[in-house]
Amino acid sequence: MALLDASALLTPLLESGPDDRYFDYCLQPYRPRRSWRARLRPENLLWRSLAVGGVLEHLRPPLLALQAALGKDMTVWGIKWDGHRLFWEIYVYDPDKEDPNATLEGIARTLTPWFEVLPRPRESIPYQMVSFDLDASVASRRTIDELNLYLTGGPGHAGRSYKARATGVELENTYRFLDAKREIDQILPLLKASVFVDYGDPARLSKVLIPELYACRTICVAKKRLRDGVYFSGIAVEQLLFFLRRFGYPSAIIDLVARRPGAFEHLFFDVGIDYALDGDVMTYPKTSFYGTL
Amino acid sequence: MLTHKGRFDPTRFEDLTVTVDFHCHSACRFCIVQEGMNLFKGVSEDKLRAAVADNARSRRYRRICFTGGEVTLERKLFDYVAIARASGSFEHVRLQTNGRMLADMALARRLLNAGVDEYFVSLHGHDAATQDNISQRPGSFDEAVRGIANLAELGVCLMTNTVICTLNVEHLSRVVDTVQPFRPVRMEFWNYLPMEDYADERDLVAPMSKVAPEVRRALGKIRELGIEGRVKYVPRCLLGDFAEAHDDSQPDVVIAEKFYDAYPQFACLYEAKCEHSDTCLGLHHPYVTKFGWEEGRLQPTPRTRPFVEPEDGLWVGSDRPGEGMADALDHPAWRALVEGVAPRNEARLSAVRLTRRTCSFLFEHGDSSVEVVLSARDDGAPALTRTPSFNIHYRSVAGPAREKLASIVRDAVKTIGERDPGGMVLDRRKGLVGDEAARRRPSGRAD
Ligand code: SF4
Repeated sequence: MALLDASALLTPLLESGPDDRYFDYCLQPYRPRRSWRARLRPENLLWRSLAVGGVLEHLRPPLLALQAALGKDMTVWGIKWDGHRLFWEIYVYDPDKEDPNATLEGIARTLTPWFEVLPRPRESIPYQMVSFDLDASVASRRTIDELNLYLTGGPGHAGRSYKARATGVELENTYRFLDAKREIDQILPLLKASVFVDYGDPARLSKVLIPELYACRTICVAKKRLRDGVYFSGIAVEQLLFFLRRFGYPSAIIDLVARRPGAFEHLFFDVGIDYALDGDVMTYPKTSFYGTL
Repeated sequence: MLTHKGRFDPTRFEDLTVTVDFHCHSACRFCIVQEGMNLFKGVSEDKLRAAVADNARSRRYRRICFTGGEVTLERKLFDYVAIARASGSFEHVRLQTNGRMLADMALARRLLNAGVDEYFVSLHGHDAATQDNISQRPGSFDEAVRGIANLAELGVCLMTNTVICTLNVEHLSRVVDTVQPFRPVRMEFWNYLPMEDYADERDLVAPMSKVAPEVRRALGKIRELGIEGRVKYVPRCLLGDFAEAHDDSQPDVVIAEKFYDAYPQFACLYEAKCEHSDTCLGLHHPYVTKFGWEEGRLQPTPRTRPFVEPEDGLWVGSDRPGEGMADALDHPAWRALVEGVAPRNEARLSAVRLTRRTCSFLFEHGDSSVEVVLSARDDGAPALTRTPSFNIHYRSVAGPAREKLASIVRDAVKTIGERDPGGMVLDRRKGLVGDEAARRRPSGRAD
């Protein structure tokens, strides 16, 4: 995918307003750090990334339609980066099945003018959130071939995500959300119980629990099919900037924040890293950050 | 969440350090203001006068400490000391110095006569080879030791400081041997903080497996000699029997605000578990990145109080060499803002804590308590309410008497609102001096 440079990305920036609501990537509300006045909505980052990825024109209309159907700030976006390529995941939460637009059926209906949603798992699955991936190929294919269903965990049972295709459903990842500081005694053994990473080198944990990101509210430990992941939730814009630079995001995305960090100062962000060892070196096959739309 | 903890707290809010300027005749390999020397100017005389005048009014600070660069090289130092002494508002005037210029007894005497009563002198090696290698200036060891000897002869309050790095970590207790004939009141050991060399390309950050036993050895010797020991940036739990020597506090500082952009941040995985995490910073990020979190080595002391994410750092007052911390100062003008609230509500005003950033009033009613917190007026920050000078909020609600605490808060807010004359100064910045303290970069160099 060719990434576009910043000069091609002059989309007008959307300002925060008095009716904005603030949610983390699990759609849990939080109190903004600063007033909304003279600040920017988090969705600007999504639009900028879509522009950098060259898919703004294709993906903005269906995403605006979702936003209109679900309500402002009620859709979570994830921007993902593998070091070369941007891709996206859109998450819709409705654990209590209150909003007909947030059901599998409702989402498929909203997206119909742009995408055909092929998987149709049974609506009665007790999922609390459904997501789908977007990238340039989805945009050109005009079909959504996979949905991700997230089921809440409980004591002794991690949250799980399942990949649903037209042909069936299979387990994808497991997740555990823990208080970053109060539950560190659980986080450490969970992280270290890994088939992919050997924690024998004492410095290795710091490549996963990255100190700059550890100052967060919640840590999610994810066990995936082919690697491990960790998510840091409730970080400030300074930490987001660190994260974007640390993992080499396209400069047009970094610049949007770096040129006006104060404009995003009212928000908390969530970020995630997938990691694996390549010989002795920690690699990050995919990283991501999240906001609401 | 990013908080002041892990950036630059705990701060001693009754001690003020002023960076006079950034010139230096040594070039210590670990100098944390080296980058600052290129980028920042010192504090101007106007700024100093303003800070001193403010202290004459507010009496927030007991001590003023002048530092650099190497402060004894600055011609304006005597003017600055005179300004501070003339105000009569500081109990102590301290110099932080490499001691080399004090090899000149006449200068040492002049400083003493000008009113400098405390001397915090760096000595990073036990011998000339080690010290001069670190300072990159042959002869610096001999000069510093002569300076220390002169100060001892003058009978001033003498403290030494040794920055711990890979170049001297094995010799810390020998530094004690070198210094002890001069009977300092205190010896401090500050573990090296990388400001601009995160990756430690200079290989100066020593692992705790080496630092901790060497520091303990030095502290053991110091204790036998009856000298006070102080250690910064080595986790408290690694000091063993010498935990009382741990002190990560720094004074409030007047310095270019940008200095703190590069200041290392700290973390400890056991912050929520450990009783001492308010006062102990843990490990700095570059350390964690290089050597790991030390999760097996650190030994948190189980908490007796529930963990609350710190909003501001712990309140710390003024240093008193050889005698522990000084008692907190009283602040009548600030106390007057809530005078009457406690008795009206059958409560007790048990603390008035004035820092540069906040003024907090701790009200207690039986087993219940609440803190009412004033910060600088800021319409963009969340607040319970605002008065001309302040944003007001409350925190640390504890105990069962919630209704009573609510009425205390309501009363305090109303009373402060009626009495705030406007213009009462609080400032959330750490460095206090803004962009005007940045040096103009040579033209052609990108910003
Ligand atoms: S466990 Fe952490 S906070 Fe507690 S003393 Fe050790 S380093 Fe400090």
